[in-house]
Amino acid sequence: MVPFGGWEMPLSYPWGTVAEHRSCREGAVAFDVSHLGTVRIEGAGALAHLQLALSNDLRKISTGRAQYTHLLAEDGSVTDDIIVWWVDDQRFDVMPNASNTSRVMAAIGGHDVTAERAIIAVQGPQARHRLATVSAEAAAVHRFAVAPFVWKGAACLVAGTGYTGEDGLECAVPAEVAEEFWAAVQAAGVTPAGLGARDTLRLEAGLPLHGHELGPGITPLQAGLGWVVGWDKEEFTGRAALVEEKVAGPARRLRGLVAEGRQPLRDGAEVQSNGHMVGVVTSGNFSPMRERGIGLALVEADARLLDGDAITVVQRGREVPANLVRPPLWPVREEE
Amino acid sequence: MNIPDDLRYSVDHEWVRIDGTRVRVGITDYAQDALGDIVFVQLPVVGSEVAVGGPLGEVESTKSVSEIYAPLAGTVTAVNKALADGPEKINQDPYGDGWICEVELAPGTDPGTLLDPAAYGELTAG
Repeated sequence: MVPFGGWEMPLSYPWGTVAEHRSCREGAVAFDVSHLGTVRIEGAGALAHLQLALSNDLRKISTGRAQYTHLLAEDGSVTDDIIVWWVDDQRFDVMPNASNTSRVMAAIGGHDVTAERAIIAVQGPQARHRLATVSAEAAAVHRFAVAPFVWKGAACLVAGTGYTGEDGLECAVPAEVAEEFWAAVQAAGVTPAGLGARDTLRLEAGLPLHGHELGPGITPLQAGLGWVVGWDKEEFTGRAALVEEKVAGPARRLRGLVAEGRQPLRDGAEVQSNGHMVGVVTSGNFSPMRERGIGLALVEADARLLDGDAITVVQRGREVPANLVRPPLWPVREEE
Repeated sequence: MNIPDDLRYSVDHEWVRIDGTRVRVGITDYAQDALGDIVFVQLPVVGSEVAVGGPLGEVESTKSVSEIYAPLAGTVTAVNKALADGPEKINQDPYGDGWICEVELAPGTDPGTLLDPAAYGELTAG
């Protein structure tokens, strides 16, 4: 168990991070992600308020859908990355990162209902099939859809979302039935997985982690997430800075890295091209699927490097040869 | 935690199997368990001389990088090449197939300075 944003969380279960990772790619695993915040925003003005506060445009979706979005600072930096569940006409469940809940509430208001529910993420190609034996209702919810379901008399919510690159569902269940639901999911043949696998899975999938690929000084454009910006909205926090950056072109871009060998790339390492520093690794580890070191890095646009180009990662004084690869890093693209 | 009777141990969680003036070195069951899934090993170079406490490679897991420290002074005479493609052998069999290297001890080196199994057991208890 490790401390994480004020929570005690398992880094891995007895079978270990690599086995948990492969189970998610090949079967199904369950993560207890109750540490994610849930801030509930209700009322006639809720939609307009969120449209002003968050970067993405909720008009792209509708009731019963989920959307990935950012809370930006005025300078365009990503203060937090968030999933919004549009539960019904006048109710939104906004889910920030564990440590950012208070920062997000300061910007959008609402009330914190994190302690009232647990969130169990069931992820992997077998996730729906397995979850169907626990709740057929929950298992039927489509990708990025949000729907209520009832489990053992308790009112629950489910969304077709996740953080692994696999199909999957995230179930919000009242705290009173959380342990029983967790046990039922395991009884359905879904093995639990810890924070370690959650991180290697999201890294292979090329998904950003706040504090690494997103944070102060890093904009959605630099992170390659221009689609998270609702350009058609006339006003939202950070818009002016982003428009300016879009015109000039971002000075650096998030790129994927795949090492030639097994050595894990590590965050903070320098990315060099022809002996010059051109960027920094923001996250790195070992890819259990590719059995190579992999990473994400912010690389200067001026370096004019293309996907497929060879670069060198310098970590702990040693040079690790690697190539730039357009994320996701798994599955392997044909062009690689 | 498995602590074989016939080995000696360092406070840095390496084990040593003594065979005359030559020793085989690895990391302990306690160390592999603390590291988690080992995915890469930086082996020392055969022929390199190491001082007590000097660097003898690195073991990397999905969660961290850990230096291996030479438990005794000497010259590296062999490395376990099978770890290059199978570093998980350290997790599976830390005292057997997961050995890391062999060292010819420098003249006058006394392996008796290392911990015996009972002392290492005390170090890692609780």
